[in-house]
Amino acid sequence: MPSYNQINEKLVEVTLNNEEVFAKRGAMISYQGKVDFARSFLGSGDVQDLAMRAVTNEAYTLMVAKGTGKVYYGYNGLFASIIKVSNEIVYVESKTLLAYDSRLRTGTMFLGNQGGVQGILRGAVTGQGLFTTTLQGTGEIAILSDGNAIGLTVTQEQPVFVDPNAYIGHKGSLTSSIVTDLNWKTFVGQASGESYQVKFMGQGTVYIQASERQS
Amino acid sequence: MTIYNPGNLPKNDNLNRFAFVVDVEEEIFIRKGKMIAFYGQLQFQAIGSSMLDILIKQTFNAPLYINHFVVAKGQGQLILGDNGNDIASYDLDDANMTIKASHLLGFTRKVVCQESTMPGYLTMIGTGKIFASSNGPVHFLDLPCRVDPNSVLGWADCPSPSYRYDYSHVAGLMSMAGAVTGITLSGEEKQIDFSGQGTVLIQSSEFGELLPDSGLNR
Repeated sequence: MPSYNQINEKLVEVTLNNEEVFAKRGAMISYQGKVDFARSFLGSGDVQDLAMRAVTNEAYTLMVAKGTGKVYYGYNGLFASIIKVSNEIVYVESKTLLAYDSRLRTGTMFLGNQGGVQGILRGAVTGQGLFTTTLQGTGEIAILSDGNAIGLTVTQEQPVFVDPNAYIGHKGSLTSSIVTDLNWKTFVGQASGESYQVKFMGQGTVYIQASERQS
Repeated sequence: MTIYNPGNLPKNDNLNRFAFVVDVEEEIFIRKGKMIAFYGQLQFQAIGSSMLDILIKQTFNAPLYINHFVVAKGQGQLILGDNGNDIASYDLDDANMTIKASHLLGFTRKVVCQESTMPGYLTMIGTGKIFASSNGPVHFLDLPCRVDPNSVLGWADCPSPSYRYDYSHVAGLMSMAGAVTGITLSGEEKQIDFSGQGTVLIQSSEFGELLPDSGLNR
């Protein structure tokens, strides 16, 4: 199976042994060995997944690299990190996904399915929209972040609160809810500026970046 | 990638170049919107209201910037981030330090924050910690020195600086005409001049105005 190796904070090496890896279009930096590149439409999903992506704004343009050798991926000077997935689901935005392979099955998740109205609300506040990309199975993925990605553990006893604009993804079985500090002061221009926080509860890991998206 | 939990988060230290963990035990001031995550029980309150006014009277003495800061109170570990800028903390021990207002991310409650006589800068006096961001790592310069206005992050223990204009190369009619039209200017004519004893903090990039929400770099 393809193995992922962090070369430096912005560069990831994927070793292929007559295998294939899917990566964000334009992210290939260099390669060694005999590797062919092609546009991939399906990724590791199916036709229904593709159709789902097309209508939900979670569409991504993927390149597939196939063959034997090493491929180096990096994108736009952003930081790259490898996330190990072991029989769980990772939720990330399609834009932050750098590389993955067919060990993981991709899908598109309606945030409302995962936490009902709170999920929809979270999508709206984080600028994620109503849909997010899911990857399920056991394997590895590479993600992009502005500044180092920071993983924060969530346990039953210890929830974590994150700024919706700094959130990049999460894995495990987590439920989220929006915490608001809204009060009368917010409406007279005295907001605390941290009025919306997303609270993650359960068992898993939340990934954030030290940079707030301008949404 | 290290996965953090409340047990292995650094205490009042950098998580990485761009993120800083603050152990909150008593009220601290932070810049609005710079919290990226926290563990524990924390509340954020706009300042200039309610019970907190007593605290503010003692420490926050910069009405111009009152809307840029909030008070975080409670118990917890707070992670600060500022658009991918480098973050560092500075310990004050009965000292003073002046810092560009748009780069000040937070300070502890025993530090008094006042407007500097240089517009766009805040002077911090007392004992405690200050958190500030910079575009690229901070470099410390000894005095005397002259610095590009956009690169100054702050200064400590020295008299308020002055502007120095270097137009010595504008001599004669032709270069004068060039200067008026801007052709012969190097773009480095206006410098900030530091003299006396102390330290100047500079950032490695001149893009101080990049911070979108600030509007402070007048």
